Amino acid sequence: MTSIFEGTLIRLRAREPEDAPLLYQWFNDPEVTEHLAMRYPLSMKSEREFVESVSSPGYAHAGFAVETLAESRLIGGVDLINIRPECRCASLGIAIGDKSFWDGGYGTDTMRTACHFGFAMMNLHRIELEVYANNERARHVYEKVGFVLEGCRRQALYKYGRYQDVLVMSLLEGELRLDHRP
Amino acid sequence: MAPGPFEGELIRLRAHEPEDVDRAFTWLNDPEVRQFLGRQYPFSRKDVTERLLPAPSFASALFAIVRKEDGLLIGDCGLFGASPENRGASLGIQIGDKTCWEGGYGTDAMRVVCRFGFETMNLHRIDLHVLAWNERAIHVYEKVGFHREAVCRDAMFRFGKYYDILVMGLLRGELR
Repeated sequence: MTSIFEGTLIRLRAREPEDAPLLYQWFNDPEVTEHLAMRYPLSMKSEREFVESVSSPGYAHAGFAVETLAESRLIGGVDLINIRPECRCASLGIAIGDKSFWDGGYGTDTMRTACHFGFAMMNLHRIELEVYANNERARHVYEKVGFVLEGCRRQALYKYGRYQDVLVMSLLEGELRLDHRP
Repeated sequence: MAPGPFEGELIRLRAHEPEDVDRAFTWLNDPEVRQFLGRQYPFSRKDVTERLLPAPSFASALFAIVRKEDGLLIGDCGLFGASPENRGASLGIQIGDKTCWEGGYGTDAMRVVCRFGFETMNLHRIDLHVLAWNERAIHVYEKVGFHREAVCRDAMFRFGKYYDILVMGLLRGELR
């Protein structure tokens, strides 16, 4: 029987305290955080506290560690948060922290698996996300799995000494493209 | 403007205020009212306050039922334990003011609170538990669209004996 937590390349699982050191390493790496909201250095203590606080996935915060199916190696994380039960709408955040797994289809597979979980198990109607306007690689992934560009929050981000636009994208129930075309 | 989500024909729902506690305290300890409730123990004023005053939310949406003609508090109703994944919640209702029994107030309040559940909370299913001998209540629930789903045998023990509890359910689109 196929698992709802598994895609073709990755598996979602709950975060564990042992994950903290890798997350600490990734989220202090400017190459990883360039397209994320993080801007201050992270302590090991705060990373451990974060992992602790999100280690029981539930409707209030459906957070997952992402690991490879091939060797169960931790490569990133994905979270469905800010869920409004009346509107059945969640915000999605994703990061593939292990740079050696960039460009291998792992992000796409993670998106599909997490969104499918959101619709099939959490009964969501809408999943939305924000992506920085210059992050074309991520935007391409989101569009590939079915996300639609809805708008642009002009100059909503200030980082690296300049303002940047932030794009708003969303995926409605029934729009997820699960076909695994390259 | 169309009637708001809290308006029925005879009643209106609102959040509770501290001034409501005394009146609710009185009927929640009145044996004639309590015979229909699933509680063995008396309510303290603190119990009543803690039950009525939290702000209604998805997790626990309790409303005061007031008579439209004069704003008199006559009971309460609510949707509890809503599961966002299953989009189901359990309903509870009581008309505590005995002079308002048989006047259509309960039916009206049922319709308003169920409509609120579907249209404002986006629920898919509402269920309730009722003592199986409480035919007057069951009649009201069936009138607004609830279906008899299951009898839980001997599910409640009070006054020295067991009573059956009937589970009833209403799906989105079935409200009359």
